[in-house]
Amino acid sequence: MADDVILKVDDVSVNFKVRGKILKAIHHVSMELHEGEIFALVGESGSGKSVFTKTFTGMLEGNGDIVGGTIEYRGKHLEILKKDRDWEGIRGKQIATIFQDPMTSLDPIKTIGSQIAEVIIKHQGKSKKEAKSMAIDLMDKVGIPNAKNRYDEYPFEYSGGMRQRIVIAVALACHPDILICDEPTTALDVTIQAQILELIRELQAEYKFTTIFITHDLGVVASIADRIAVMYSGRIIEVGTCDEIFYDPKHPYTWSLLSSLPQLATRGGSLYSIPGTPPSLYKDIVGDAFAPRDPWAMAVDFKADPPMFKVSDTHYAKTWLLDPRASKVEKPELIQNLHEKLLANTTYGKGEHVDD
Amino acid sequence: MENPEIKDSDFKLVKLDEEASEKIDTPKYSYWRSVGRQFFSNKVTIIVLVVMVVVLLMSFIQPMFSGYSLTDVTGVNDLTRRFNWPSAQYWFGTDKDGKSLFDAIWAGARTSISIGVISTLITMVIGVLVGAVWGVSKRVDRIMLEVYNVISNVPSLLIIIVLSYTFGSGFWNLIFAMTVTSWIGVAYFIRVQVMIMRDREYNIASRTLGTPTVRMIFRNILPYLTSVVVTNASTQLPGFISYEVFLSFLGVGLSQNVPSLGRLISQYAPYITSYPYLFWLPVLVLALITISLYVVGQNLADASDPRTHR
Amino acid sequence: MTTEKEVLLSLRDLEITFGKFVAVQDVNFDIYKGETFSLVGESGSGKTTIGRAVLGINPTSNGTITFEGQQINGGLKGKAKHDLERKIQMIFQDPTASLNERATVDYIISEGLYNYGLFDNEEDRINKVRTMLEEVGLLPEQLYRYPHEFSGGQRQRIGIARALIMKPDLVVADEPISALDVSIRAQVLNLLKKFQRESQLTYLFIAHDLSVVRFISDRIAVIRSGRIVELAETEELFRHPIHPYTQSLLSAVPVPDPQIARHIKPIVYDPSQHHYETDKPKFVELLPGHFVYCNAEEEAGYRKQLAAEGKIQA
Repeated sequence: MADDVILKVDDVSVNFKVRGKILKAIHHVSMELHEGEIFALVGESGSGKSVFTKTFTGMLEGNGDIVGGTIEYRGKHLEILKKDRDWEGIRGKQIATIFQDPMTSLDPIKTIGSQIAEVIIKHQGKSKKEAKSMAIDLMDKVGIPNAKNRYDEYPFEYSGGMRQRIVIAVALACHPDILICDEPTTALDVTIQAQILELIRELQAEYKFTTIFITHDLGVVASIADRIAVMYSGRIIEVGTCDEIFYDPKHPYTWSLLSSLPQLATRGGSLYSIPGTPPSLYKDIVGDAFAPRDPWAMAVDFKADPPMFKVSDTHYAKTWLLDPRASKVEKPELIQNLHEKLLANTTYGKGEHVDD
Repeated sequence: MENPEIKDSDFKLVKLDEEASEKIDTPKYSYWRSVGRQFFSNKVTIIVLVVMVVVLLMSFIQPMFSGYSLTDVTGVNDLTRRFNWPSAQYWFGTDKDGKSLFDAIWAGARTSISIGVISTLITMVIGVLVGAVWGVSKRVDRIMLEVYNVISNVPSLLIIIVLSYTFGSGFWNLIFAMTVTSWIGVAYFIRVQVMIMRDREYNIASRTLGTPTVRMIFRNILPYLTSVVVTNASTQLPGFISYEVFLSFLGVGLSQNVPSLGRLISQYAPYITSYPYLFWLPVLVLALITISLYVVGQNLADASDPRTHR
Repeated sequence: MTTEKEVLLSLRDLEITFGKFVAVQDVNFDIYKGETFSLVGESGSGKTTIGRAVLGINPTSNGTITFEGQQINGGLKGKAKHDLERKIQMIFQDPTASLNERATVDYIISEGLYNYGLFDNEEDRINKVRTMLEEVGLLPEQLYRYPHEFSGGQRQRIGIARALIMKPDLVVADEPISALDVSIRAQVLNLLKKFQRESQLTYLFIAHDLSVVRFISDRIAVIRSGRIVELAETEELFRHPIHPYTQSLLSAVPVPDPQIARHIKPIVYDPSQHHYETDKPKFVELLPGHFVYCNAEEEAGYRKQLAAEGKIQA
């Protein structure tokens, strides 16, 4: 199975210097990315999910440093690359990123079409005419109606959802190997979000790139992720296949995240809520970072950092609850039989629910 | 692993302290203390601040002992006291009347700084208050915009010169001439700032809580403007000092018996080639004063912006 | 059944324009005392504009807003306006922008108390603020801290505290959780629920996401391009959405279940499916309490379908 690993991150830590103080943004994180999969990184703001993926493209802010660990992309070590020149050919070309706000990646004073064509000319060496027709094809692909006529329009003439489609088209223009989607739908309306997710899924099937999908909302990735990693306070605390994370979660934080999804709430009752707020990353965290908010915390959680316990070949969780010495704890009632509950609660049939 | 020893007894559930994770670990925040910390964290600022304090002390204390008088000509016939180059006895040398330039400069600096500080204070207080009202009231806005358009289209130096001639020379006359229109620029600036702030969400929140407009100006809007007000003041202050120098150079402004840097510079300008120290030393002190006041003011402005804190 | 309920807020033929742009038109609904009424729509639908019109922040160009039987839009002045402002409070979307960064939590929560003199003496005021702070789950020792020292969720709770200490009758909650992390949202929603149970509060809850409002609301109005397209009781709306736009919104709600989620195809709403050129649409009550914006032809179609489902007599 190691054959299809295209990106291997081993024990990476990232620190930021903020006015003389050290902020430990990423703390000993390891991860493997398999060719062709959609890998979701789920975490709250400040969990380090964005910072983590920025290490793959050399886009850490100036005050941030990789202080330990290795990042290997198809045999090439990325953690040693420092200068922008070293990143040429990787960033944007082999590993492309789509951000939450499409305007950060679009030039407001250039036409939509020319921005796509430019990338095609630069990365594929096509002529101007070829590039234009390829760009129009791409616009078609990402679902821009009447692409030919809209080629010469400017970004401000596009809606938020349409702009995000263009950013995806620009990213696709250089045939990336890995596409990092950093909360691409968070700023969009729900109906547009659903369409963009669908688009990413379709394009993935056609272009066979590998996707890292970053989001704070576990609900969003159920439809598209193959595997999910949950991040908390700069650590990956659980990783597994999509089904494992949703139907057999092991870490109390994952339980809490699932439990607090509003889709699971019943009217008249109260929503499950996680008490408190995440810890400050300026402090040295002793033990399990989630322990102070964890109803299932044990004394050991305040003493020692738990290792990654293996649940199955694909499923690992960083909690002392999996230690043989710990007493067995069931996941909370609310998220047991998740599938049955959601089926009963659902009117999703209206959304052309097709059984296969 | 760096783990300490783990006993079986550690694997017992502990009760959740719900308050623990609500606690804020950082030390308590105080706005002015943070301004101070930020301000003094810059070494250049401290050096310039020391220069500024020395200059200020010299200007306000030294003249009390020197007994310098602009009209004193007792040394005019004593040739040994005339046109001495800077030396141990006369640090900055002497002029054609045998007066010590060292004494002259500090006495002049005192006047120039006083004019600058008083004019700036008047300008800022009137400017900020008028600007705040201007920014929130639509009725005031209509009238003030007309006034502003008229005044801002006349060069301010022209206004000052005309007023100086009309009212005659004198310390307070000069201040009046300089501040009578200067505040309107500040007021317009504050008006724009207030208009930007006015529709911010926290001000809408205050409106829904029934907060009266006056309190909104003082509690919600002006505190946010501390930094821009200080920036503005720190550019006004050297400006006023320069105006004084310029007007004294022209021979309007202060009355004949009041020493000031401007007067010294204009008086000694003819000696720029024969006795250059007479001209350059006052210019140097003038530069020291305006630059140090400006730098300290700008750094104070930066420090008073809470985005720089922590 | 609806006749027994007391109407607290009533909007009739409301229209709000900004220059030539019509942001909101033909908006009609009542909010009953003690209920949570949700206004759901996407960005630019006019939902926030309506909320702000209720608070008197946005002027209205047509129609009436009636609160406790008294018309409140336009012309209210002096004491009557001041008194009304206490009774209708607002919770804002952005917990950073909506708090005065230069004021302590103590002042922020007390602001309304000062404006209305809602305390006997300094000790009483401090006590009220402390109690409120504890009610929203913050610590009394945090009284003299500044907003930027708190996390987003804590800040939003400060925003709730300052609104609810006024003992309002109606609270307009404008997307109070959409700027918050998922795990924090529940805290805030539970808090709103708790206050409603304890003091009979009425909420006008504004949201862009149907998944959130199902849990909290009694009735839901779906708004699109300044018009309400459907209004019904919550479960009725979720189980039997009639307007195609509502169906599209519902189909877009992410389902946190891989097996279901993989099979859902979002319904795309196409506004050009309506032909309103000659046959003008109205807001029609198809079922008791269930209103849909449609023209005569569509109404006939909807009725036929409802009859087929056995919900009404053919």
